[in-house]
Amino acid sequence: MSRWSESLFASRRTLAVGVVLFVVMAVVPFVTTAYQTTLAMTALVFVMLAVSWNLLAGYAGQISLGHAAFFGMGAYVAAWLTKPGAANLPSWISLHPIIALNPVLGLLVAMILGGLASAVLALAVGPMMFRLRGHYFAIGTLALAAIIRLVMTDQRTLSGGSTGYYPSQVMGATDTYLVTLFVAAAITLASYFVVNSRLGLGMQAINDDEVAASGLGVSPLRYKMYAFVLTSFMAGIAGSSYALNQLYINPTSTLGVNWTVQTLVVVVLGGMGTLAGPLFGTVVFVVIDNLLSSVVGSLATTVEGIIIILFVILLPSGVYGYARSYLAEGTDREPALTEA
Amino acid sequence: MSPIDLLPQAVANGLLLGGIYALAALGLSLIFGIMDIVNLAHGHLLMFGGYVAIILLAMFGVTPLAGMLVAIVLLFAIGVFLERVLLDRVVDGGIEQPILVLFGVALVFQNLGQHFLGSNAHSTTLGFNGHLAFGPIQLSSSRAITFVLAVVLVALTWAFLEYTTTGHAIRATSQNREAARYVGIDTDRIYMVTMGVGSALAGAAGALLSVLFPISPYLGWSYLLKAFAVVVLGGVGSIAGTLVGGLIIGSAENVTAILLGGSYRDIATFLIFLLVLLVRPQGLFGSRSGGE
Repeated sequence: MSRWSESLFASRRTLAVGVVLFVVMAVVPFVTTAYQTTLAMTALVFVMLAVSWNLLAGYAGQISLGHAAFFGMGAYVAAWLTKPGAANLPSWISLHPIIALNPVLGLLVAMILGGLASAVLALAVGPMMFRLRGHYFAIGTLALAAIIRLVMTDQRTLSGGSTGYYPSQVMGATDTYLVTLFVAAAITLASYFVVNSRLGLGMQAINDDEVAASGLGVSPLRYKMYAFVLTSFMAGIAGSSYALNQLYINPTSTLGVNWTVQTLVVVVLGGMGTLAGPLFGTVVFVVIDNLLSSVVGSLATTVEGIIIILFVILLPSGVYGYARSYLAEGTDREPALTEA
Repeated sequence: MSPIDLLPQAVANGLLLGGIYALAALGLSLIFGIMDIVNLAHGHLLMFGGYVAIILLAMFGVTPLAGMLVAIVLLFAIGVFLERVLLDRVVDGGIEQPILVLFGVALVFQNLGQHFLGSNAHSTTLGFNGHLAFGPIQLSSSRAITFVLAVVLVALTWAFLEYTTTGHAIRATSQNREAARYVGIDTDRIYMVTMGVGSALAGAAGALLSVLFPISPYLGWSYLLKAFAVVVLGGVGSIAGTLVGGLIIGSAENVTAILLGGSYRDIATFLIFLLVLLVRPQGLFGSRSGGE
């Protein structure tokens, strides 16, 4: 049996929780209100963002504060591909022939191309950004995202400026939701395989000790780049699916620092550097966020900030990390997941 | 008038603004150099200082120059509080935890500002106008006064580090934390003072900036990046470098605004920041490599 499937069976509990979660999410649009479906949709976007950022920050140890740039890039590419005319782009890039042929395929192609655009952006800026380490990398990515947001806000033709951009609808809301659910599940599963693969081990090795890793022939730059490009691809897909579900985007709503903030909150809540952490974090975050906005109203962000602080100080391994170490007396510890 | 004719005036205004940037950056540089923490909430502390001046003027008619003193005292207390209650638990333990904690602090400040003072920008005024004229260049009195005050505060900070026992201990800690402990320096106390002084400088800069520009709750990130750009440009730990860096960033911003339009102001600063990081990571005057 391959190592992947071994570890997959070794964590039957995780697998079972995952399947249950998937089924629950799949019936949401059929049994709940439109508002609750929108909430579930937001949760899916958070899962994709959190899973992707967790790979880069939790496993490869590169704290990027520029995640929103890749999210926004994916969102805009999906918008341009479904409605190129509004940005004065040539009409041959339109995905409408594919959408007319098969809407599901059209939606998937839009999401994947959105992800690819972000991956290309990561490929272009990565070698520069990875000349920076630690604090400098964090603040450098924050600056990079700010530059991209400012330039896009200024390019009103491309971005719609503050008026925004309306991508055209590919499919009905429920169908779009279901496709997004499959894509989010695929991304989560992919992160599982990546972490348990040679690639994932390399990423964790450079996180643990860069010098030792390069001494053993694991090139830090190469593995950081793998992680960065993969992460950005996933963030781009998250952005595309957000754009095609919301059907309205603007530079602030997609490229603003908010997405970076919320991604961080979700991952820190759930447990950084654990596979199930982003899923737990998303559930806890969406519930808390919803409760907060009804209880504390416009002070919700303050409470979010306090939650980040409290978790980092008191529960640095997150909800999932804590639950796991609490339950870990049993036999089915997950081999590659024990590094928090 | 063509943009070229406006350049001398833009550079002069930028240099005066740069003095305040240097003041804000000095606080960030101190905290970074001594505690090895990037104060991600620095821009938001600056914003808070601006609000202190705004509120004092609006409610009690207090001039922002006195508001600045209040901001210094308040922000010193906030800085000490943040260090004692939060950072003390995460300092010296890797980079993720302080980054995340201070990110949380920044969110709290931003949201509180938004909640209590609204999303609109507010500003203060010194209450009198007038300007000094040097040929074609006119320096407004509010810009000139805020610049002088900023430079005085930078000089006072320098004197504090150079001539007081605590200042010596701070510099010793920045050179070698372990060795400082061996010779009996209480580094916990040094961290507390550093965070207090660093935050107070941000607050002073915010109060001075409120005279020149409207302060809104969303400015925190932008000023954090500007201050960090100045730190990187001047080199961590170099006060002269920070001053020169501030002047360069201030005038570069104004020149870009004249030549390319106001929306490119911040883009210019952030690009300079990234370029310096990539090309000369130790900064213009620094001895420490910025790559680490």
